[in-house]
Amino acid sequence: MITVNSKELPWLPGMTVADVLKAMNYSYALIAVSVNDQFIARDDYDTFVVEDEADVKALHICHGG
Amino acid sequence: MAEKIKITINDKEVEAVKDSTLLQAVRAAGEKVPTLCHHKDLAPDGNCRLCICEIEEAQGHKRIVTSCNYPVREPIKVWTHSEKVVKHRKLLAEMYLSRWPSARPVKAVAKTCGVTETRFRGDHTDDKEEACILCGRCVRACEEFVIEDIVNFAGRSMHRQVTMPFGEVDPHCIGCSSCAYVCPTGAIKIVDDLNHPADAVKIRNAGMKINAEMARLDPLQNRMRQVGTGNIVDVMDQYDILPVMNYKFGSHPEAKKIYCDVFRNNYWTQNQCDGCWLGCSMACAKATEPFELKTGPYKGQKVIVDGPEYETIAGAANMGCFDPEFAIEYNFYCDTYGIDTISFSTCTAFVMEAFEAGQITTEHTGGLELKFGHTAAALELLHQMAKGEGFGVDVGQGIRWLKKKWVAEYGADERFLQDIGMEVKGLEVSEYVTKESLAQQGGYSMAVKGPQHDESWLIFMDMVNNQIPTFEDKAEALYYFPLWRTWFGLFGLCKIIWNDVVPADNYREKDANKVPGHVRSYFRYVEGMLGIDDMSEEKMLEQSARVYNLQRIICRLLGYGHRKDDYPPYRMMGPVTAEEYESRQDRYDKQLKELVKVDPTAKSSAEKVKILRQYREDQYEQMMDVVYKRKGWTRGGIPTLARLKELGIDLPELVEIVRPYQE
Repeated sequence: MITVNSKELPWLPGMTVADVLKAMNYSYALIAVSVNDQFIARDDYDTFVVEDEADVKALHICHGG
Repeated sequence: MAEKIKITINDKEVEAVKDSTLLQAVRAAGEKVPTLCHHKDLAPDGNCRLCICEIEEAQGHKRIVTSCNYPVREPIKVWTHSEKVVKHRKLLAEMYLSRWPSARPVKAVAKTCGVTETRFRGDHTDDKEEACILCGRCVRACEEFVIEDIVNFAGRSMHRQVTMPFGEVDPHCIGCSSCAYVCPTGAIKIVDDLNHPADAVKIRNAGMKINAEMARLDPLQNRMRQVGTGNIVDVMDQYDILPVMNYKFGSHPEAKKIYCDVFRNNYWTQNQCDGCWLGCSMACAKATEPFELKTGPYKGQKVIVDGPEYETIAGAANMGCFDPEFAIEYNFYCDTYGIDTISFSTCTAFVMEAFEAGQITTEHTGGLELKFGHTAAALELLHQMAKGEGFGVDVGQGIRWLKKKWVAEYGADERFLQDIGMEVKGLEVSEYVTKESLAQQGGYSMAVKGPQHDESWLIFMDMVNNQIPTFEDKAEALYYFPLWRTWFGLFGLCKIIWNDVVPADNYREKDANKVPGHVRSYFRYVEGMLGIDDMSEEKMLEQSARVYNLQRIICRLLGYGHRKDDYPPYRMMGPVTAEEYESRQDRYDKQLKELVKVDPTAKSSAEKVKILRQYREDQYEQMMDVVYKRKGWTRGGIPTLARLKELGIDLPELVEIVRPYQE
């Protein structure tokens, strides 16, 4: 199990940041992702593997209004 | 999200992002390749050819390519300084040096190629230090930064030059100075500063960052140039916060019919049509032209429609209407009649729900079947409003007025109307579903001017990011963001470029939601205008807080500045009806179990609505106390005397107004 924005998400072996965002239905354009406080560049979303019990933050930068 | 490809650079294996340029890959690998026409913020052009490298493709074919515009798409071998490459670069450097022997970038790049003298001599040598070297950066900046083509090349061969059309000053040039900013030699200079800013360079440097971000990053972020604020329709529907049928729901299967690309592909034909700054590099305003009207006094005429933008499109969904042409038509007539699209759509959505719930009938509406999705009835209501006829006269008074009349004269259910009438302080709510964000409920309801976006947009910080879980966290956000948004008003600055495009490295910032890089740019801009050098977050907050508290006192004078005026209708906080609860039952049942500690099993929807309501209303009360304290207000929502003194606005006439309400 991992946590994403303090919510639990079942962990799967080999799960990448891109997989996490897809599982959470996060389609927003302005997302900044950190895994265990390490920021992940957008170019690495497909390749960065998220370990079990990781704390993932997917910060949606507010826009609009 | 990028795929990586393994390539070999000077016999060393490295990874490169697929579709990145070879120049990016080479530089990321620490290799130096000279360039002259390249600029990090402009599209590559390949015209100086100094960035050439020798490559060997998978088939074994070797060739020379310009690395700045060669996309990496397969494993290749690369040599940045092969014998052939060095020879070609030297020849190019010599030719540049013969044409522009004194231009500093030319001399510098020639030196890196090992060239200090040239064998060539000609009649077209320009030996000025600030000579134009025809790199084309200015031409690209004009097109890419501000979407203009005012500066361009003319002539061929040795007569090629950069100029405006017909060699005359083009009146369409708005002096954005992008061309001068990217010019490597100083051939283009800004000689006028008509507004006489204290430090024009400081202002330009801050502004150019945004221009570059719009050219390079916007297509990957919110696509403001392509679709403007319309992009938010798609986002809101996908995150279940698009207002549908008077805010009952947050998404709808038919919402895709009004997604931004529907308008982009079928209706929008213009950028920059409304009252924004000419030359704004974002150009988020969109217009529809020609549009043939189907109703009203201009039926059959083809018109230009200024929009629609997010709130207007979402307002259509709020009325249960998912026809893009309805959104455009009501947009046009609201503009033409001088009616705000938010107030019209929110008010009409309220009328539609009341009609469907039997609170009013055709007897009251003058025969109009005002059900959700009835576009013809909604447009007829709009025309009546403008003409001052029929039911439109009543609806034009707004939700607060309608509630009173219907209860007093038609015997309508007062509590139900209060719950579903989406207004605070008499102003109709703008188009966000806030049920799952306590901070956004507070942002809307405690807003001095009523429930609009000027006092922040915290839904994602709160509901999705879970960044502000405690009351204190929410209070801090409701302290900072309304003051930051107020600051734009103080200086007459546009807010959109603050957070509708963000710097590439924003994700590394501690408070990424504040977009600190852009906050700094705004501060440098103000410093450049005023000739000061000490703008800071602390100073910004103080400047805004003075005005904000003055506004709160004015609000009190107008009869709205008390705690009682800062409560939302319950529809803003949670599900009013069993239908709403059941539409998101899993979510609400989970909350009852985990937050309220109540087992929802065997309870009716009506019972669960009641229990959840008690919990949410209590949460709101607690948050209000903390927010008021953080703002420096009494528990009743009045600025304290101490806060006025701290801000230096304890003027006798203001003290007189707030003194009776001190606790």
